[in-house]
Amino acid sequence: MISISKLLCDLDAEGDGLRYDDAAGSTKHQISSERQRAPVVVWNATRRCNLACAHCYAAAETKPTAGEFSTVEAKRFLDELAEYGVPVVLFSGGEPLVRDDLVELVAYATEAGVRPVLSSNGTLLTREKAVALRDAGLRYAGISVDGMPDRNDRFRGRDGAFEAAIRGIEHCLEAGLKTGLRYTITGANASDLEDVVDLLVDVGLDRFCFYHLDYGGRGAEIVDADLSPTEKRAAVERLCDTTVDYHERGEEIETLLVGNYADAAFLVEYARRRFGAKRARAVYRFLERNGGDPTGERIADVDYRGNVHLTQFWQGYSLGNVRDRPFGDIWEDESNPLLRAIRDRDGRLTGRCGTCRYRSICRGGSRLRALATTGDPFAPDPQCYLDEDEIFGELAFESAT
Amino acid sequence: MGETKRRSRIESGDRANPWPQWEVFVRRDRSRPMRHVGSVAAKERAGAHEQASRLFGREAVDVWLCPAADVDRYSTRELGSDSGGETPPSSRDRTASTDDSSVEPTVESAGERS
Repeated sequence: MISISKLLCDLDAEGDGLRYDDAAGSTKHQISSERQRAPVVVWNATRRCNLACAHCYAAAETKPTAGEFSTVEAKRFLDELAEYGVPVVLFSGGEPLVRDDLVELVAYATEAGVRPVLSSNGTLLTREKAVALRDAGLRYAGISVDGMPDRNDRFRGRDGAFEAAIRGIEHCLEAGLKTGLRYTITGANASDLEDVVDLLVDVGLDRFCFYHLDYGGRGAEIVDADLSPTEKRAAVERLCDTTVDYHERGEEIETLLVGNYADAAFLVEYARRRFGAKRARAVYRFLERNGGDPTGERIADVDYRGNVHLTQFWQGYSLGNVRDRPFGDIWEDESNPLLRAIRDRDGRLTGRCGTCRYRSICRGGSRLRALATTGDPFAPDPQCYLDEDEIFGELAFESAT
Repeated sequence: MGETKRRSRIESGDRANPWPQWEVFVRRDRSRPMRHVGSVAAKERAGAHEQASRLFGREAVDVWLCPAADVDRYSTRELGSDSGGETPPSSRDRTASTDDSSVEPTVESAGERS
């Protein structure tokens, strides 16, 4: 996760300590005073969902699914995450709000000392539910919207999904819940980026997370719907422009990019072009501390049947199952050669990723996209959009100093 | 020999998410034992072997696969000991049938509640 607003506009946020080891530089209450040691855990609390989104990595279904954690199992699981030092658990799905015990589990995570946050399509977030989640200690609600109304509803497989999501966002904001947008960028909706930001700023939202498409779950079936690398670069540039423009008008929106660490190098280049070498160097230093693609290190996923994955998109491979071993034991077990190799990937990256000047802030981008398109988890990320000069030339700020 | 530890059968043996899981075992060289390295998701054996080979082929002389649902697991671990079987929590809470299609949340009903 890369914060455009912090790197280009100096917006401090409560994730600065966690992501950039920069708690001291922030005026906001911090999730953690130091860079995380244990991963943020995405928990697919259920596979059930009331929508049928084209890009769903969990391939969620509207029908009930056997094998989900009972309330008792879920609480033991949350206890084990707390014991291991997991800083944040992201209740995800499917749609987590279809679980009747969600509020109870959010309260339990709060009590256990794991910061609970929510990923939802927003359509089930009534006013009462938003208040109950706030009272249970929910710290953040990320609501998915993937385009302006018609496009979003087509993508999500349900008429009225856009309006229902906006109502959910409004209920969260009214309840005083920190709330943000989740937007998966594809070829079908990239043209809506600015309009969606403008619309949701009017609703009262000030946090926007943009996800690049990764090739897991149902998303793997729509690889063709992904942007080309050139289009992706243009979309990221527009998001940078939008963020800077908002801040120059005095509106401090927070914008973040997820899922393609070519964005890290691009932000350094963007900073140099727009603000000069000094800013580019500062951006680079923050991104060094951030550490690049977090797969297998700073983020983990546990699916609705307890399988542990390298990220939420790696649903095709599981390190183990928390019904067999505690999460921390699975995550620490580097006798697994793939886990060890992913964590020690620098010398294994091949092609342009292996020699890229930016690999210390990118770490090769998505190993899953490489695996999905070439069969080799250490091949170049096919969605890296950097050009040859950026990859093989001098770092953006070196030539100017 | 010491006293045998008490182990319970882990009831939630089906790990499909929704794709069937195949437990993967690899042997790095002939002198070493097989090692469990997790599971891959695939509809059929050939697909599971292809996935396992992509992930572990460089480091293994042998790859064994076993359908995860066919593994009988006994453990001292308690996470799933009172899971109540294979029923999702929301439907377990209901006393009537588990036909959740009748309680499927919808956008429309969410709107009404709001």
